[in-house]
Formats: sequence, structure tokens, C-alpha cells
Amino acid sequence: MEYVGEHLWAGTLGEAFVYLAFSAGVLSAVSYFLAERHDSTEWKKLGRFSFIAHTIGVLGMVSMLFFMIFNQYFEYHYIWQHSSSDLPLRFIFSCFWEGIEGSFMLWMLWHVILAGILLKTVKSWESPVMAVYMLVQVFLGSMILGVSILGYKLGSNPFSVLMREHPDFASLPIFQIPEYTSVLDGRGLNPLLQNYWMTIHPPIVFLGFASTLIPFTYAIAGLWRRAYVEWVKPALPWTFFGVGILGTGILMGGAWAYEALSFGGFWAWDPVENASLVPWLTLVGAGHLMLIQRSKGVSVLSLFIFTCVSLILVQYSSFLTKSGILGETSVHSFTDLGMTGHLALCLIALVVLSVGLIISRYKEFPNAEKEESIWSREFWMFIGALILLISAFQIGYSTSFPVINKIFGTELATPSNVHEYYNRWQLPLAIIVALFVSVGQFLKYKSTDPKTLIKKLSVSLSLSIVLTLVFALSLEISNAFILGLTFTSSFAVLANLDYLLRILNGNLKKGGSSIAHVGFGLVLLGAVISTSQQEVISENTSLFDVTKLDDGFTNTENILLMKDDTLLMGTYFVSYRGKKKEGHFIHYQVDYLAQNSEGELDSVFSLFPFIQLNPRMGNVAEPYTKHYLDRDVYTYIAYAEIEDRKSEEKGSSHEIEVGDTIFSRSSFIVLDSLNRFPNREGSNLREKDMALGASFSVYDVNTEKHLMEPLFVIRDRRLTFSVPDSVRSAGIKVFFDGIDPEKQKFKFRLLEQDDAKKEFIVMKAIVFPYINILWLGCILMALGSFLAVFNRIRKK
Amino acid sequence: MKRTHIILIVLIAVLIGAMIGAINDSSSYADFAEAFENPGQEFHVVGQLSKEKEMSYDPMENADLFAFWMVDNSGVERQVHLHKSKPQDFERSEQIVLIGSVEGDAFHANDILLKCPSKYTDGEVQVKEQA
Repeated sequence: MEYVGEHLWAGTLGEAFVYLAFSAGVLSAVSYFLAERHDSTEWKKLGRFSFIAHTIGVLGMVSMLFFMIFNQYFEYHYIWQHSSSDLPLRFIFSCFWEGIEGSFMLWMLWHVILAGILLKTVKSWESPVMAVYMLVQVFLGSMILGVSILGYKLGSNPFSVLMREHPDFASLPIFQIPEYTSVLDGRGLNPLLQNYWMTIHPPIVFLGFASTLIPFTYAIAGLWRRAYVEWVKPALPWTFFGVGILGTGILMGGAWAYEALSFGGFWAWDPVENASLVPWLTLVGAGHLMLIQRSKGVSVLSLFIFTCVSLILVQYSSFLTKSGILGETSVHSFTDLGMTGHLALCLIALVVLSVGLIISRYKEFPNAEKEESIWSREFWMFIGALILLISAFQIGYSTSFPVINKIFGTELATPSNVHEYYNRWQLPLAIIVALFVSVGQFLKYKSTDPKTLIKKLSVSLSLSIVLTLVFALSLEISNAFILGLTFTSSFAVLANLDYLLRILNGNLKKGGSSIAHVGFGLVLLGAVISTSQQEVISENTSLFDVTKLDDGFTNTENILLMKDDTLLMGTYFVSYRGKKKEGHFIHYQVDYLAQNSEGELDSVFSLFPFIQLNPRMGNVAEPYTKHYLDRDVYTYIAYAEIEDRKSEEKGSSHEIEVGDTIFSRSSFIVLDSLNRFPNREGSNLREKDMALGASFSVYDVNTEKHLMEPLFVIRDRRLTFSVPDSVRSAGIKVFFDGIDPEKQKFKFRLLEQDDAKKEFIVMKAIVFPYINILWLGCILMALGSFLAVFNRIRKK
Repeated sequence: MKRTHIILIVLIAVLIGAMIGAINDSSSYADFAEAFENPGQEFHVVGQLSKEKEMSYDPMENADLFAFWMVDNSGVERQVHLHKSKPQDFERSEQIVLIGSVEGDAFHANDILLKCPSKYTDGEVQVKEQA
């Protein structure tokens, strides 16, 4: 069949760019390898030339994919899968990297950009560094190759899969129409990812991932050339660039989770989060070991291990998220594209390369001449790096349970209280790390005089004790480990601030590392206080008796709010006011009220948590947060019925005389008398309207008496209607419908509200104290890292 | 003995400690049969919702209790008490992972992971709305 309106040229061109990038990448890697092997400038030139060709390929394929998303070529499976015709233009970037193929392309793009900068500074290291660099780039390139070799499909190519050829869709009748492209629409971007975080978070994380490659290539080059120390200097700024960027990316992921997902916090120890945290920890260790290596020949072996492990862990993290192995343990891993073997193979190749080279060269490593002094900076930095390694190991090991289960057939799983599980190890380790961060800068290389050290630290030490006491008393912290971390992290902040102000005289050029350390201390302080002292204020204050449940199952952290009821919650009163549907979203208005001096309730603020209706991924609740300087009030809908309730009020008619009683489900309603001059206020009646009131006494379940007076109104002598009245606590509303003058009887209609049918929400509210300390810390950490890197490059 | 060696030995000891600690603290996957043999012990149980059996969630009474029936991967059907509010879109879940323990004749879950059909329904494509 001849199809009309397909853009096959675009796919062909895109494919051509993919093949160009791959083959030029292979050629470049091989040429650089031979250039180093034979010390040949000819091969080096070829390597450089083919790198340029590779760059053209990468830029070409990235542009083509953007072009195809932008022009909505839904005949391509990738475009169909990730975008749709009604998608706002601002999400076009998110569509690009929503899928595995696009995220590999983003990663490769960053590698190419970084390599462009690297080539300007790499000088004599070009051949070995670029050989390794291009090898890794070829590994990535193979993931999007999409060619079959001996029946095994290598990678998945976004340009080569057409909808009408896709096994899931090919048989559809729509593809029997030659002009199908004019009606086919895309499935669209997952609504969960339709927010600005999805636009900025992945590029930063992938830039962080990409930047770990450069220290690795220098390390391998150093081993290869037997230049075991010389590689460190050029690798150092790149390492801290990676620390800054990857750290920013990880914390940004935390901010995303906190702002837009109902995880109930900024860190959930989710495997995907862990997978990017672990390489960051080892990268920080690697960077600090490089610092001490420069001043004194500290163990070269540890330096190689940390640097190589960082990149391998980045690749491992990509393996975990992209192979689908995390499937049932993580909320946000990709589904399996059948690349598990391929990903594992690339990972194993990198491990073999690193381990093989380190083992074969180990005997030649220079020995440190003598032991470091206990009072030296390098000794404690080394120990600090080891602590980071332990921390990374514990997180990485636990995150790998699904992999371990697959290999060894075990059935390990992290327990339901993951926070407690991880904190048992991470809390003590963080206390030690924060302590090292505080003291570190004040220690001198080689040797420090203990007395002057204590003298210098005394100010910040005593201030941090005071600060810890303030936090402890105001927030009632009693756990020893929490107190410990509050203390050491405050100490880290104050000591580094002190160093910046008194020793560096506030010189910001030299103060990059101090600022980054202040930031790190603030991140720890904010994290420990806001999470350990968080208060779930939505504990159930309604009538439900928790003792009915078995012991240990009394987690009543959610509150039930009937529409327009007001309940006490923490220091606030809350009231659910109603919902509003807008597109994919249902917004629920929750008013927070407080009692004023006269005892009346005043509205303090309103929150609009919402539920996103998501036919693809299931409906998702997204939180809404009121930010104060010293705390956040975080609220989300734990449960709500999505379908609108029809008016479920039960109606019944009654004809009664004065003195008679109507029985409702939960009250007695007694007609006391008729009132010819009823209170007409607030009933919108005209002056000439004739109104007759029926005065009732209503006794509710608590036998409390309420008065009400529905009206029967005659307008212009013809029109009759009722102005009803209601007693909310009894859930009733009475209409005065008519008069039977002969029998002296009066007609009433009673509406009973069925409580079980009233509209309600179940919501959760948490107060996070001092969470802004965390965000301030993030910003300072990133700024400080870049300042330090910038300063180091400038000095060169 | 050099200090480096001592540090190395301590490091290895701690790493082994972390490994054993992790295994000790960890929970494990099991089916209902195993969970019911060891009441009170925490397990992860994977299975599917029994759609024909009754689900009960009465937030008026308790917003943090949701009862339903699940068939585990070995085909055993048991009642589950989830001590949380009813998850959004629960009925559509393809696969359920429960985390909790057995008490009495029901499995009491503290936490639940749902796998919803993230994949499109096969053989369905969207058609643009004609203007």
C-alpha cells in the first residue's frame, strides 16, 4: 500500500545520524587508542577528525528528534508514545527525554559538549583520555542503534520504529487507510511529568552523570601511561564540577518530590534516588582524595578505586533504572525495553577494564614515604573518604536487593520503614562526616598544633552547642542521634562560616570550598530537623475509636473532612470547602483557620491540594504547601471520591397539624405554631410577598433543641413557593409546601441528608519545621562548588 | 603493623558489618503460606487483587483502614487489612506488593506498592479530534 503524508525522510535522516555517530565514535576510539599505542600524530589527527564527525552525528540526531516532536510526526512510535497534538509547547523538552532512547541521546549530547571543552584543556593527555572517553560514548551510542545482529536486537532506535510496523499496532484498521497520518494522534506525555521540574531536572542529572566520565578517563589514562600521580591535577576541577552539578541534580529531584509528589517529604529512599546518590558520595570521596594527593603522595590505590567506582556506579545506576529490574520496588523506573543484557555487558566491560588495569599496575604504585600524622588534614580527609564509602556501600547494597535476588535467587527486600532502616547506618555516618567537615579546614597539611586548633574552634564550637540547645528545647528533640547530627551539622555550618570570615577575611574567591561546606552542613541540618521533627497534624480527631484496632496498627495519620465541617487539627482548625475541576485536575479547597482573641475563627490561609486524573498511570494526588520562613504546612488528599455524588438527599412529605411531630432518622421535629409575621431577613423576599412561617423545635441526637422556621410564600396572589430552613447538626432541611384550609393541615417536605453520602475528603497534613535551611544549603553548596572550580581553573 | 593496615582491617570489618546488618534488618519476599506460618514477622507479598471479592473502605468509621482480598502468586487468596487510606485508582492495579505481617486471620499491611498499567492498552491508538 502507498501511504500518504508520512515523513519517512525524517526517520531515514535521523537513523543516518545515529549510524554516523556510532561508527565515527568507534573510529575515533580506535584511532585514539592506536595514537597512544604508537605515539602517532597521524592516528591522533584521525581520532580528532572522527570525533568531529561523531559530534555532527550526535547534534544531527538530537536536532532531528526535536524536529520530529515539534512537527508531531506521530507515525513514529517514539513521537507517538511521548507527545500529542494538544501538548503545550513548553513540554517539548520533557517529551524528548521521557523515554529511554531520548535520555541516552541527552546523555550523549552532554558528553559531546563536555568533550568539546575538554579538548581545549587536555593537551598531552588527549590520546589516552579521548580513547577511553569515546569507548564509553560508543557504549551509549550502541543503546540507540536498533540493528539486529545474529537475531539479537542491539539497542532501540527511535527513528526506525514506525507505528504501522510496530507489532502492537500493525494490525489496527487505521493503518489500512493510506492517509492515516492525518488522523493519528499521539498518546501524549505522562501527565505526571507535565511540570517544569521534568524540564530542568533530567538535564542537570545527566550533566552530572556525564561529568563523572572525565575524571574516570584521566584515571584510566594515568594507569595506562604509568603516570600514577600526574593525572590528578587536570582531573580535579572536573571532579568538583561533577560534585556540584550532580549534587544540585539530586537535591532538585528531592525538591520535585517534595513540591509535586505526595511522597510525604523530599527524600523517600526510593531506589532511583539512591542510585544517583551513591555515585555522588564516592565522587565526593574521590575529589577529596585528589586534594590530598596533590599535597602529599597519599595512597594512589584508593584514589584509583574511588574515581573508577564513581563512574561505574553511574553506569550501574543507569542499568538499574533502564533495565526494568527495579520494577516492583520503585515508583519511577522505566519499563523493560529488553536491553538488560546489553546494559549489563557494557557495565561489566567497564568493571573489567578498571579492575584489570589497577591489578596489573598495582605493584608499580608509588609508596607513601611515611605515615601521615594523626594531626594532619590528609589523615582525616582520608578517613572521611572511607566513611563516605561505607555510607555509599550500605545504600548501594540495599538498593541492589532486586539484582542480588535475581542473581542468587534470594528474596531480600527493604522493610516497610525504610527511613529507620537506612537511618540506622546513615545517621551515625552523617554525624562523623559533619564533624570532619567542621574540623577539616582548620587542620593543616602535615601537622597541626592541637592547642591552637582547639583555640580556633572554640568560638564555633560553643555557638553550635548553644544552637543545638535552642533547637533541642524548642522542638523537643530527645533522640541522641538526632541531637548528635543537629550538633555536628550546626558545627559544620558555623566552623566553616568562621573560617570564611576570620581566616579568609571573607575573600569569596578563595572561599568556594568554605561556602560549599557551609551549604553541606545546612543541607544536613535542614534534613535532620525537618524530617525527624516533622509533625503529622492530621491525626484523626473525628469520633472514630482507635482502640478497636489491634495494637500496633493505630496509624491514624489521615483526617476525614466532611464538606463544610470544621475540625481541630494541630494548632489550626480546618474546613473542606469544595472542589473544582479544571482539565486533568480536581482542586480541593481546604481552609486553615485560627481562633482570634474573641474566640471566632478567622481564615489564615487556603490550600488547594489536587488530584490529577491520569487514565494512563492512575490518578495521582499532588500536594499543596504553605511556606513560612521557619516551617511548611504540607497537605495532600489521601483519598477522595472522584465521581460527583448525585444529590442523595432522601425526601418525604408530611401533612400535620400544630403540635404534631415528624420523626427523621436522627431527630424529632415538632411543629410548635404558625407565625404570621416571620423573620424575613436573609430570605430575599419582596415587600408585597405574603409569608407564613412554621415554627419548629428540632431535637437532634444529643437532645439539643434547635429552632427553625421555613416559610410558605405567596407572591402576586398566584405564585407560591417555600423558603426552606435547615438544622445542620441534625442533617435536615424542611420545606413548607402548602396549606390544606379544610383539614387545618399543613404540608411539609423533609429532606434528610444521608451522612454516609455527604461529600468528604481524607487528607494528610504534615508540618516540616525549618525545611528552608535545607534549600538554602542546596543553593550555597552549588554556588560554593562552582566558585571553587572556577577559581581553580582561573589559577591555572 | 602500619596504621594503613589497621584502617583497612577496620574498614573491611565495617563493610561486612553493613552487609550482615542489612540482611538482618531486611524484610523478604514471601507468599501468603509462608507469611501465615510466621505471624508477626514482616514480609513482602506480591499478588493480584481479587476483583470479585468485597472491598471495604468506610472513611466515616476509619479513614486508615481498607480491607480487600488478594490472590498471591501461588494462588492463595487471603483477606488484607491495609492500614492506610484506600489508594487512588486501586481497582485498576495490575499487581500489588504488600508490606506487612500476619495477625489473626488477615494480613495486615503497613504499606502497599501498586503497579498500574503504565503500558498502553494494546491495539488502541488515539485519533485527532476533527475540527
